Amino acid sequence: MATLNFMVGQEQGNVSVTVLKVEGDIDAATHKTLQDKAAELIDAGTTHILLDLSGVNYMGSAGFRAIHAMTNMLSGGESSGLSKSPYLKLLNPTDPVARVIKTLGFDVYLDIYQDRNEAVNSFQ
Amino acid sequence: MAAKQVFDLAVRARLENLQKARHYIDQKGESLGVSESALGDLRLAVDEAVTNVIIHGYGNLDGMVELHMEADGDTVVVRVRDHAKTFDASHINAPQLDTALKDRPIGGMGLFLIKKMTDEVEFLALPGGGNELRLIKRGAIQT
Repeated sequence: MATLNFMVGQEQGNVSVTVLKVEGDIDAATHKTLQDKAAELIDAGTTHILLDLSGVNYMGSAGFRAIHAMTNMLSGGESSGLSKSPYLKLLNPTDPVARVIKTLGFDVYLDIYQDRNEAVNSFQ
Repeated sequence: MAAKQVFDLAVRARLENLQKARHYIDQKGESLGVSESALGDLRLAVDEAVTNVIIHGYGNLDGMVELHMEADGDTVVVRVRDHAKTFDASHINAPQLDTALKDRPIGGMGLFLIKKMTDEVEFLALPGGGNELRLIKRGAIQT
């Protein structure tokens, strides 16, 4: 059965940022593990997450359910309206994943970076 | 009378088999000469279709999902067949892409993606029970 691997790093920019790198295919069988990992980090005090998708070659709508839930968990009920989330950003999605992000309109809600340092320093 | 369709892949309707469904599309698509971009679209559409069969069609019940991919000229047709309850997609609304994320319901994106990734989608209720979804992608094979 497909599984996801996680690597968690901590970076200090303007605020403390947790870099969560995911490896594997995010589908309906695995998306919950991403959501649970994010919940575990948020419960432990994480307030800002940079989600590194460079190791994800496939992500279907279930992956976006997880990202949507993560955005809601991090915002704690506060709405960013149509502006981008100040708490969750994406790093280096692969081409197929970037295409689905755009198709589903998630690029409206989430900043996407190619450079890790630039991404970390963009959190306020 | 039409010849009985032989399906290439039959898997139990369990989420852990989604990877097998995607793998079948990759392998068969490659053997048919499907372009990389069309293959990516079909992989996504089939994954979403099989996910819907497992979660909404069978629910907690045991059952099988069958897949068959074939080419007709530069068009590729993928058939996804199940023996679950009849699927009615008419009540499913497209996700609200211009609404604040906080106000968007979580989920509801699968059928939208299936339609976006293909040129035509046909739903057939099978006479003996079950459903067949036909995903049609034109210009998928570079001739």
